[in-house]
Amino acid sequence: MLLCCTNLLIRRTLGSILGAVFLLPVFLVCRTASSQEGKQFPAEQIEYFEEHIRPLLIKHCYECHSTDAPELKGGLYVDSREGLLKGGDSGSAVDLEDPEHSLLLESVRWESLEMPPDGKLKPDQVEVLRRWVELGAPWPRVTTSDGTMLPSKVDWQKFDWRAAQKEHWAWQPVRRAELPELAPSRNAIDYFVDHKLAEAGLSAMPPAEPRILVRRVYLDLIGIPPTPTQIAAFEKQSAKDSNRAIQDLIEELLSSPLYGQRWARHWLDVARYSDGQGGFLDNTALPQAWRFRDWVVQALNDNMPINRFLQFQIAGDLEQDLELEYPGIATGFFALGPTYRSDGGDPDSVAQAKGETLDDRIDTLTRGLLGITGSCARCHDHKFDPVPQQDYYSLAGVFNNTAIHDMPLADPNVVQTFESHKREVGELDKRRKDLEKKLNNKESELTTDEYAELDVARTRLESLRADPPPGYEIAHALREGGSGDMKVAIRGNLRKTGDLAPRRFLRILTSGENWPLTEGSGRKALAEAIIDPANPLTVRVFVNRIWMHHFGEGLVRTPSNFGVLGEKPTHPKLLDYLADQFVVQGWSLKELHRTIMTSNAYQRSSLHHDGNFRVDGGNRLLWRMSPRRMDVEAWRDSLLSVTGELEVSPGGPPFADIVSAKRRTLYAKVSRNGDVYQTDSFLRRFDFPLMRATVAQRPKSIVPQQYLFLLNSRFMIDRAKALVCRIEEVKGEIARIERMYSLLYGRLPSGAEKKLGLEFLTHSAEGENGPLTPWQRYAQVMLSSNEFMFVR
Amino acid sequence: MFHRNPLPTLTRRDALRQLGAGFGTLGLAGVLDSSASAVDVSASPLSPKLPHFAPKAKHVIQLFMPGGPSQVDTFDYKPAIAKCAGQRPEIVDRKSLRNTKNGLMPSPFSFRQYGQCGKWCSDLFPKVGEMVDDICFIHSMHTDIPEHAGAMMMMNAGHLQPSRPSMGSWLVYGLGTENQDLPGFVAMSPRAQPRNKLANWSNAFLPGAYTGTYVNIHDMKPDRIVEDLKNEWLPRADQRRQADLLTRLNQIDLQRQQHDRQLEASIQSMEMAFRMQFAVPDAFDTNQETQSTLDLYGGTEYAKGCLLARRLVERGVRMVQISLSIDGYDIAWDTGHGDIPGGHRRLADACDQGIAALLKDLKQRGMLDETLVIWGGEFGRAPTSEGQKGRDHDHYGFTVWMAGGGIKGGISYGATDEFGLSAVENRVHVHDLHATILHQMGLDHEKLTYRYSGRDYRLTDVHGKVVKELLA
Repeated sequence: MLLCCTNLLIRRTLGSILGAVFLLPVFLVCRTASSQEGKQFPAEQIEYFEEHIRPLLIKHCYECHSTDAPELKGGLYVDSREGLLKGGDSGSAVDLEDPEHSLLLESVRWESLEMPPDGKLKPDQVEVLRRWVELGAPWPRVTTSDGTMLPSKVDWQKFDWRAAQKEHWAWQPVRRAELPELAPSRNAIDYFVDHKLAEAGLSAMPPAEPRILVRRVYLDLIGIPPTPTQIAAFEKQSAKDSNRAIQDLIEELLSSPLYGQRWARHWLDVARYSDGQGGFLDNTALPQAWRFRDWVVQALNDNMPINRFLQFQIAGDLEQDLELEYPGIATGFFALGPTYRSDGGDPDSVAQAKGETLDDRIDTLTRGLLGITGSCARCHDHKFDPVPQQDYYSLAGVFNNTAIHDMPLADPNVVQTFESHKREVGELDKRRKDLEKKLNNKESELTTDEYAELDVARTRLESLRADPPPGYEIAHALREGGSGDMKVAIRGNLRKTGDLAPRRFLRILTSGENWPLTEGSGRKALAEAIIDPANPLTVRVFVNRIWMHHFGEGLVRTPSNFGVLGEKPTHPKLLDYLADQFVVQGWSLKELHRTIMTSNAYQRSSLHHDGNFRVDGGNRLLWRMSPRRMDVEAWRDSLLSVTGELEVSPGGPPFADIVSAKRRTLYAKVSRNGDVYQTDSFLRRFDFPLMRATVAQRPKSIVPQQYLFLLNSRFMIDRAKALVCRIEEVKGEIARIERMYSLLYGRLPSGAEKKLGLEFLTHSAEGENGPLTPWQRYAQVMLSSNEFMFVR
Repeated sequence: MFHRNPLPTLTRRDALRQLGAGFGTLGLAGVLDSSASAVDVSASPLSPKLPHFAPKAKHVIQLFMPGGPSQVDTFDYKPAIAKCAGQRPEIVDRKSLRNTKNGLMPSPFSFRQYGQCGKWCSDLFPKVGEMVDDICFIHSMHTDIPEHAGAMMMMNAGHLQPSRPSMGSWLVYGLGTENQDLPGFVAMSPRAQPRNKLANWSNAFLPGAYTGTYVNIHDMKPDRIVEDLKNEWLPRADQRRQADLLTRLNQIDLQRQQHDRQLEASIQSMEMAFRMQFAVPDAFDTNQETQSTLDLYGGTEYAKGCLLARRLVERGVRMVQISLSIDGYDIAWDTGHGDIPGGHRRLADACDQGIAALLKDLKQRGMLDETLVIWGGEFGRAPTSEGQKGRDHDHYGFTVWMAGGGIKGGISYGATDEFGLSAVENRVHVHDLHATILHQMGLDHEKLTYRYSGRDYRLTDVHGKVVKELLA
């Protein structure tokens, strides 16, 4: 179950969200009075209830008539006032108009029903119940006891969706910004950014040195640092025409296949991509998961329009495409998600596991694509955003009608031939075994016919096996599985259901209009709703993620929560400008990279500036580029790259051995719980997140375990040795040190740095000759340094 | 993901003052606030943090009994079973996991009274029995489902699926740990890891610094406890020279960048890693103990875990979990399905002396007051029989006991029905147990939250209440 976060949040972060809390519930609170019987009972009546009635109900009725009941009887809940008033199959249990004839009282008197069934209540117990009903069934207003469905604070039937949209920036349509005439060389991004900087009285840092900038661009776009030659070439170009130089560099890298390998990983975080299904014991592997990963790499390299990119991932199995043979592979986005199971078939546990699996789909869809925390509406209406619990189950219904299967990657004829061959072999073989068993059994004999049959079976089997038809590959994908609506699950418990939840899109994004998701599972229509240009969130959320990967932080710093509790954009107009342009330019991701990276904002130096730092230490206004530590993928790939060992082969099945593998880190095997493979343990140590839920942003931690890896691991020792091999042909100690600095940091060492190196080498040579040479020890230190690990 | 720590963060200076320690012992690793803002300098993710209120206990040792020990054969004495042997009164006629339909089975073990408080215990745990005056038995525990994997996650992480942080991770997240050279949370078992493995001590979505470090007591190598702890290539002096060069280079780099919290933190973190290489093997070296201490604990692997737990807690480790396992079985007590007399006897023999020794040892050293010891499985076993001499799972009622850490000794709280199947009096859900444990550690279970997936999570989800009656 989810955590009801209201009270906690308000208590805890009152300061930071006060504004939001007070602004928002206008639409939530104003209708409270009408739908909730706003009756306040006197304290002594509540006391009477707590003292006499609640214990009695718990003791004698809860076992069959409460949210905790193993099996609810008669559809009646007595653990809330609403439950009693609403009643069960036999009607209302408490009649406030005619208390004496309330079903509750008649039942405990054994006049109509006979309750409790295992023995009549004592007369004085019946009497306190009678008195309580007569009082009007007083019940504390705020109850911590479980009850029936949490009463909606809002009457969603009458809810004014359009008014609600006006309450919060993210629900509103993307606005096309009005730009003044800009100089042709001026990037629109700088217009917005400079304006804010000027307002705050901050001065932007100058452009980064070319050698810093070129490293930044390489690591950003392809996740591998430039070689000394590449740096020198850029510096030379840059001296002639810096604008032209960066444009050419961006073009070159965007057309490299390494680009897709870098940016696919960012998307795989959103997709909580893993090579195993998860659940208990993490024992279900997803051996073909890599096909989805490779699909993403290819789509990004091909600059597939992002609307199609998203559409395929939701409903690719239902789409046709001229260029893609199997768009269904893309549905791995959902099909590869965690699938929860029960460990013994207990019904509560089975239901809970199913609810959890559905919740993964909703969470990934709503946070990953829309920046809405949809999961918060699993047990009750969303506490802060206008997402009724019913809307949650409207979406859940779509996935409830969707199945996961092994999708053949072959012509149907091939599949059919293969499968019928397999079936025939199976049947014949079984028959053969039966007959042979009979033959070998002393107590039975084969008839003549059976002898003949056995002969035929053996011959036929032999020929079938000698000439098997070609097999085929599969991908884990979605397929249609039904077309029904779900009911709202009371408090998220799928075994206790309430009102029907017709499948339709989130109402806050359709102005309350019905966007039906009823054809088939509803996925095809769902995909259309996600990429509809009128949907203000998909584009904003996507563009913001791209921005985050270039700058370290998004324009909205809660990239998967654009709701009321999310952060507001630092540059709202810029965000809308970029979102609008993105659609105008055909949802082209590469064009978006160009726009961002050719801005001054992107090319600024990352150096410290005291005055600016004091005002805006978090760099919200983008007065500099924020220096960042590389993510684990870029860092490991860079290590292998500077030692000359990196294999940049295309995809295929993942590797699990971190010591010997030289492929890009993108291809490392990842288990759902991060506890199965050697690769897991390596990745997790360097902030690779748990692939249990869609990842908004990677955590950044610096812990000693990381340094144990740098100091002591075989991986680092091997890199050090490889690096020394690479520079061995360079003659002279100083020249070698210089070579190492250029390879690793893209610069030459200072006098002091050279001296430190020489001293270290001399001292290290003094002791015994251990398994590592002084140069290898030196190389290990150089590879472990911050300068190598940071992007500036 | 962003990380808002609800607890008041100490400045580095506060932390140093509070510890009375020099710079050398306080690491400055950081879960880095991405904003790198000048004012928001939070200390290391593991450095001690202020609790919500004055704590009664500083450390937790959880003696975890995976598989479900039977309450009516250990500490929940039910003489009525023998009187109605073979019968199936309505009160015990509830659905079990395997839907067994047999009658009541008397305990094959004999019970007698122990201690000043006269607690009835079976002869499975005679040594623990001697400690009953320090123990608080909770007989009215109940949990959500009768399946191992889910119930174990509930006991260790407060949720039925393996997707939430473990209790130990929550504790270290909330309180940090007192010794920066050791992991803050250590999980141990002999041979087999308990079912769900790492999920039992996982940080899940909390930052990686809060994960439990697992140690297999059976083939423990003190210098391999933490991955890459030992340098296989260089003697210490050469390693030191390497570390010094790295620090110098990083300092030069920091000077160029002028101001960068990440760089500062990484320099501290490297030093801490260097020290860990020597502090960890030292903590796990039981050869330093006197013979009388070793004799007190006895020779079982579980006992060794208990002794290590004391050594770790002594050095400031926040939480230690020791799971029982024999024969490489990941839910050891589940042999109870087929063989209560034999299986339970072997399991109790494997841990009784070690557990009692741990309590005695902690008490002698004056550490029991601030160490909360918790014993129990994920659920219990039914008083009715399964097959000839077994018992099926029972999540309706089971026993957990606690000792030390500001919990009343010599009392029994709550009760199951007269045959021991269902908790009927003063019922305590696992969430309530968690709330109580956090409370003793100075944490309000409703305030210890972490923002993830767009919402705030707690160990106790939306449940849990502190069982005040247990507090001394």
